[in-house]
Amino acid sequence: MVTPLISTATVGHEFGPYDVTIPADRANAYAASVGGEESPDYGDSLAPIMVVAAALTRLIDDLGLFSGGLQTVHAGQEVSWARQIRIGEQVEATARLAANSVRRGNHFATVAVTYRDSTGTEVGTSSTTIIVSGEAS
Amino acid sequence: MSSGSTQRAVGDSLTGFEREITQNRVDAYAEASGDHNPIHLDESYASTTQFGTRIAHGMLSLALVTEMLATEFSSTWHSGGKLKVRFSAPVFPGETVVTYGEITAIDETDDGLSATCTIGCKKPDGTDAVVGRATVPLE
Repeated sequence: MVTPLISTATVGHEFGPYDVTIPADRANAYAASVGGEESPDYGDSLAPIMVVAAALTRLIDDLGLFSGGLQTVHAGQEVSWARQIRIGEQVEATARLAANSVRRGNHFATVAVTYRDSTGTEVGTSSTTIIVSGEAS
Repeated sequence: MSSGSTQRAVGDSLTGFEREITQNRVDAYAEASGDHNPIHLDESYASTTQFGTRIAHGMLSLALVTEMLATEFSSTWHSGGKLKVRFSAPVFPGETVVTYGEITAIDETDDGLSATCTIGCKKPDGTDAVVGRATVPLE
């Protein structure tokens, strides 16, 4: 079994950049999942949390958390956003492992992410804390 | 009361809503986010995990909370809003959750007035699935 990156990555490890541009079909899926009568009208814009979720999926994959035997709990999430993002607008995410410790056999990891538009301007940040158990190492 | 208004006061409740988290919503969220982890989608796999059955994505519950914030603060939430939450309990498909929030402080900042709110999403038994705090510009 390949050792997941969560077992070996050190603080400062960088991830990405990830293209987290959200096309219309995924925006529609988000509306089907989350939306209801009281939902705001986003027009041609996105809920920023969707961009965060897209980056998180890429991070989970790169950290090897889909590996068999691992159980991952999403423990905490921080998000800040500077402006609305349009459906299909190019957004790139870069991430950095901000904390990674082992306590009682569980990994506690925090990954900080920065989101930039096509001009390189920062449009948002996020920070995700996960707890991983079941590692072989 | 329109968002961005300075008429808000400490103690004001945010307008929450109920949402049944159906498996169809979870499936759609997997398509939206790209997160196809079988713990959310595959009952036979999920039955072997600590939860014993499928669970909704934590980010789906958080997305509902941000829907509340986007409705309540329609002109400012996406332009300067911040949140910090912890995921304290899983939501199982078929459960109906309720979002909630309350303004706990209004502060003058370099960018104008800003509201701090407790926010969250409760399960049917009243426990929090998501709980935390948001800061939203008021102008």
